[in-house]
Amino acid sequence: MNGWQQHLAILPIALPLILGAIMVALDEHRWRLKAAMGLASILAMLAAAAALAVQAHAGGAASLQVYRLGNWPASFGIVLMVDRLSALLLLVTALLGLAALLYALAHWQRMGAHFHALLQFQLMGLNGAFLTGDLFNLFVFFEVLLAASYGLALHGSGVARVKAGLHYISMNLAASLLFLIGVSMIYGVAGTLNMADLAARLPRMPAADRPLLEAGAAILGVAFLVKAAMWPLGFWLMPTYAAASPPAAAIFSMMSKVGVYAVLRLVLLLFGPETGESAGFGNTWLMAGGVVTIVFGAISVLGTQDLPRLAGGCVLISSGTLLAAVGAGQIAVTGGALFYLTSSALAIGALFLLIELLDRGRDLGADVLAVTLEAFGDGDDEEEQQGDDGIGVPIPMTMAALATCFLCCALVLAGLPPLSGFIAKFAMLDGILNPAGLGKGPALVTPGGWALLIALILSGFATLLAMTRAGIRNLWADLDRAVPRVGAVEIAPVLLLIFVCIGMTVAAGPVMRYMQATAASLHTPQDYVRQVVGRPR
Amino acid sequence: MQDAFYLLAAVLLPYAGALITALLPANARTVAWLAGGTALLTLLMVVLGYSDIAAGRIPRVALPWAPELGLSFTLRMDGFAATFAVMASGIGFLVVLYSRYYMSPDDPIPRFFSFLLAFMGSMMGLVLSANLIQLVFFWELTSLFSFLLIGYWQNLAAARDGARMALTVTAGGGLALFAGVLVLGHIVGSYELDAVLAAGNLVRAHPLYLPALVLILLGAMTKSAQFPFHFWLPHAMAAPTPVSAYLHSATLVKAGIFLLARLWPVLAGTDAWFWILCPVGLITLLVGAYVAIFQHDMKALLAYSTISHLGLITLLLSLNSDLAMVAAVFHIINHATFKASLFMAAGIIDHETGTRDIRRLSGLNQSMPFTARLALVAAGAMAGVPLLNGFISKEMFFTEALTAATTPTLLHSILPIAATLASILAVTYSLRFIHGAFFGPETDDLPKKPHEPPQFMRVPVEILVFACMVVGILPSATVGPLLDLAARSILGDATPEYSLAVWHGFNLPLVMSLIALAGGVALYRLLYRHLNAGIDGTPLLERLDGRRAFDQVMVFISWRFARALERLMATDRLQMQLRLLVCIAFLAATLALLPHGLAPGGVQLTPVDPVVALMWVVGGACAIAAAYQAKYHRLAALVMLGGAGLVTCLTFVWFSAPDLALTQLLVEIVTTVLMLLGLRWMPKRIESAGSGHILARLRRLRDLAIAAAAGLGLTAISYATMTRVSPDGISRQFLERAYTEGGGTNVVNVILVDFRGFDTMGEITVLGIVALTVFALLRRFRPAAESVGMPEQQQGEARDWLLIPAVTMRLIFPVIIAVSLYLLLRGHDQPGGGFIAGLMLAIGILLQYMAGGTRWVEDHLRVLPLRWMGFGLLLAAGTGAAAIAFGKPFLTSYFAYADLGPLGKLPLASAVIFDLGVFALVFGATVLMLIALAHQSVRRPRAAPPPPVAALPEPAAAAAGEN
Repeated sequence: MNGWQQHLAILPIALPLILGAIMVALDEHRWRLKAAMGLASILAMLAAAAALAVQAHAGGAASLQVYRLGNWPASFGIVLMVDRLSALLLLVTALLGLAALLYALAHWQRMGAHFHALLQFQLMGLNGAFLTGDLFNLFVFFEVLLAASYGLALHGSGVARVKAGLHYISMNLAASLLFLIGVSMIYGVAGTLNMADLAARLPRMPAADRPLLEAGAAILGVAFLVKAAMWPLGFWLMPTYAAASPPAAAIFSMMSKVGVYAVLRLVLLLFGPETGESAGFGNTWLMAGGVVTIVFGAISVLGTQDLPRLAGGCVLISSGTLLAAVGAGQIAVTGGALFYLTSSALAIGALFLLIELLDRGRDLGADVLAVTLEAFGDGDDEEEQQGDDGIGVPIPMTMAALATCFLCCALVLAGLPPLSGFIAKFAMLDGILNPAGLGKGPALVTPGGWALLIALILSGFATLLAMTRAGIRNLWADLDRAVPRVGAVEIAPVLLLIFVCIGMTVAAGPVMRYMQATAASLHTPQDYVRQVVGRPR
Repeated sequence: MQDAFYLLAAVLLPYAGALITALLPANARTVAWLAGGTALLTLLMVVLGYSDIAAGRIPRVALPWAPELGLSFTLRMDGFAATFAVMASGIGFLVVLYSRYYMSPDDPIPRFFSFLLAFMGSMMGLVLSANLIQLVFFWELTSLFSFLLIGYWQNLAAARDGARMALTVTAGGGLALFAGVLVLGHIVGSYELDAVLAAGNLVRAHPLYLPALVLILLGAMTKSAQFPFHFWLPHAMAAPTPVSAYLHSATLVKAGIFLLARLWPVLAGTDAWFWILCPVGLITLLVGAYVAIFQHDMKALLAYSTISHLGLITLLLSLNSDLAMVAAVFHIINHATFKASLFMAAGIIDHETGTRDIRRLSGLNQSMPFTARLALVAAGAMAGVPLLNGFISKEMFFTEALTAATTPTLLHSILPIAATLASILAVTYSLRFIHGAFFGPETDDLPKKPHEPPQFMRVPVEILVFACMVVGILPSATVGPLLDLAARSILGDATPEYSLAVWHGFNLPLVMSLIALAGGVALYRLLYRHLNAGIDGTPLLERLDGRRAFDQVMVFISWRFARALERLMATDRLQMQLRLLVCIAFLAATLALLPHGLAPGGVQLTPVDPVVALMWVVGGACAIAAAYQAKYHRLAALVMLGGAGLVTCLTFVWFSAPDLALTQLLVEIVTTVLMLLGLRWMPKRIESAGSGHILARLRRLRDLAIAAAAGLGLTAISYATMTRVSPDGISRQFLERAYTEGGGTNVVNVILVDFRGFDTMGEITVLGIVALTVFALLRRFRPAAESVGMPEQQQGEARDWLLIPAVTMRLIFPVIIAVSLYLLLRGHDQPGGGFIAGLMLAIGILLQYMAGGTRWVEDHLRVLPLRWMGFGLLLAAGTGAAAIAFGKPFLTSYFAYADLGPLGKLPLASAVIFDLGVFALVFGATVLMLIALAHQSVRRPRAAPPPPVAALPEPAAAAAGEN
């Protein structure tokens, strides 16, 4: 690894920052130039992420690339760390970024000021959060991505966005405050901010200091859980995501995963199985909170009237599933959860983009009808009794494409075959039921594991119900709706995301191998620590 | 290799056909030939495989899919699977042929055939799966394509509702099956069918047997329309008739039965198996047959009859008897042939007359004699008339019912009676189907003039009916080998001796058959008048309306229940959310501390200085007062906040942190001014009378308690942290290396721009983004009407109310610029730096705005804050990136001293350029926010919104938000 390759890790942060800075200085009417720059930046990010993933995966069991910023030694200066997990998340982020940008090219880019710059900063924040190996630097990147998300949430303006956005900003600022408190407590007790160094120091920490560290970690955890929208900390999510402009919402589907990422990284690094007394800290809470979040998400999905909120409910289910899976603390479950994270983030992103296309050319209120018609009976079921000589109505190409995309999103999110959602759910559930591996001796399934199994199956059913209802109302029932005018550049990103989901199904083997290797190295952080700090534990 | 070819082809061919078909233009009728060819080829593949099985080999193929998960794509065809595969592809072919004539030329036909072929592929995948997870995979796919096919005429409400109901029930059952298979795999330790089938004893003895059984049975019962999940099937009849013939009689609904038989060696043989399945099968058998009699729609009659026959098969499977198993497999084959042909006959009638209502149809025997003969034979098979295939399997059923009756439980002993009763009912509805449509006087009162269908539309029916007859007359010579292979692949060596013959002598089953025939005819005569009176609904079972129950459950789940729970579990209010956040953070920390407790550290404390203590008391009082006044007296609260900030600033000075103090001071100034500017446009908040209410007081008390607890908790943990001896961490290294390696004596600045310059870069980005967001938010903002007027102080005579300060402010502007630059340049070694300097310069601009007003400043000075920001960020990031050009990591700094001769040495660190970027960004961002706020005074308010109407809360809220 030499030459340009060793600087690949900084590219996903530096490039959007530099291009974003140029975009800020450019005038608003240079939007074509900005769009081209943004596109180039995201494509470069995509390539870099892919290259990093290949590097990380090729590097064997404990492959890790440490990038020492400012050339200062680790634990003293800030380091970036590229392992399989961060490379994977970079890749997903770049994909969603690409989709959002393409979609915005149609008209959203000009619905407010500085869209392109904000998008670049948003991506920079996400990438930085996934790359950094320093706790305070993580805070900084959380701030970057949140600040940018405030801007993007308000993009396009309007009462609903401002209203939901203010709740969002307030909650997340309060959470950032907790983040800061937690970080300073940990620093105060442990004397370091480097995650790996922290993990190395933890087992040697005097018992009297441990409670304080754990309290700090707990407060930090609460901050992360706000971002991950765990019940009851995530009520801000649905209104905000539902009100946000589609490209912004598509990116946000990755943003709620950042909280999950932080929990996953830190819980396994600091409180993994071999960290002595603190092992398994908080896992029960994660599991319980995750399951309740799944239930809450499922209920929201069932009871909601409009499509954007439906998608928001799916984000909640996805977050809850991931948190509970992290709380399970088993390698196989983590592997499945990573698969799930990828596929659900992509599908939710696609769904957010799709919803707006479906909404076009449709009379408002069809969503309300979907639920209320049910409550008061259809009223039109008598009119066509003798319908067998009914003649089919050709579905226009546009509608057929939209319907297929919607169906695919619904299948992924409900976890039904044949798409990636099914494999993801299977991988997680298989891991829960067979912790030691399938057929490798009798295994005890925890009550939490059973609860998660039930919650996953039921949430899938709830998603299916809600999606069918919404889909039928929007795509089949509205007979005299105008066919929406959909540009190629708008449907392309949706197709892109769905194709990736399909690809993940077909190539389930290699993809799963990557995920499981990721999970395995996350669960054995000793190598990670050794490579960063350079001393044995 | 050869196995791989035809097994894979059998599954993949239909999918490939579906894909190609989907891409063809609408209304291309050639599609039918493509689809038919695909189906025929698929059948050929199955037949190829069958010859292998007949030779005693089980062809299988395995492709790796996700081996990490124990998932491989494995296909395997034994006799039982082959039976189903033949039905799926063979009847599939006939249905395609039939559809070619049935579907209207105006129908968008490619979509139809595409779904039909995809369904065929899924069905093939389902029956050929050698892995249970893969089976579930295809299982759900069949549900999905069934949904799409039922909803094919999506313009009909009945089709939409039927499709949705079918999907909900069958896919929901599929999820249960998924869970059940997972549990089964957990018990066995493998999802491979062979391994599972070999582990029967292990499974039946396992404590998780019952949950697994119930879940799997749920899947099977929903799919095979067993009571109480039967209701979706009649509504699925909204599908085009070929679909009903294919999916809802021959294949899809048999999938549940298929699963029961497939897992029979593992799950059957227990009491639980019998006691769940037998009552379900029995009720389904009887209720289905009974309700079928009273249907006026031919397809509905057939649908209920299908339900009844599925119940019969389930009942057979539940008996835990090997012979009953054979009978079940036999009946599966027979039912598929006669029911598919009957559906097609019903479709022909509908196609040629325009109606399916038995009450309207009459005497079709004259106009369509051929069809009438065919239907007559098929219905005879359904009724169990001798010399037809239905008769033989029914005889076997009677025999089994009688054998089972020897077991002394009530349920076993009533089986013969129930079986006879069900057969009577079956004869009745078969009679009604035939007699109602084909006999009686010819009628003119039909939408179309009836005539025979096109010849090839009849061919599929002819083939199936021919099969009914041949099997009925020569069972062992025709279906014998297939049945034997199928039974053997389930029962293995335990396959019992059985005889397929029409004549077994004059025995009890034959008597039962005769009773059934005679009873059925008698019952039809008895009910004839009632049936033709045109009364809707089923006597005695009017209340049994599965659809209404389904709708009610759906409404309950998705409307009342979900919304009630959501109200209970969620809140829209920000206060509540923040309260929860604080409480949970408090609880989280407390729970973490609880097991070990919290002890202060052992640092030697210095004595408290009374002056500093007093200062802190004042600061604390200011903070509390600010919170107390924040609701109604914003200005006072802001002043108090300033006080608290000032005390913090003094504290920094006291603890010798000049950099922090300076920064804090400038931040205090800028934020206070910006907030004051913002407050100017906030509508005034009037203390309402309600605020003194007892409940409101209690609420505030509670909030006070929460705030106090959280505050005290934070104090406690801060105290505990700070009194600890600081660990041997990185802080000492900062001090040691700042000058030697960072080239600066101001450690804080070296940390900011060098050691942790990356953090700084992130933070200035945040500042920039926030400024952009504020700018974007305020760009569309218009002040509220009530806050547009000039404030009191600016009204009236006192025009020059700020004259002297204004002059002063203008005069010191150059001084401020100079000081700011000075602070910037000395930053690396002395207190100062880019951040402080940027703020300082921004304050200079701020003062100009205060002094001269927005218009005056902008007439005289163009700041272009966006350019400053872009430039600043670019400079900072560019400095970092420059290191890469030298082969060093991002942000690696370089420093040296330039000797300027008499002027002394000038420190030249690349970090200084970075700091310059910080300076530019901070200045630009602060000024951008200032300008965004300042421009409010230049704007006109929007036209007053219409007064809010009380009944419509939305517009009112909208208006409030917009202002």
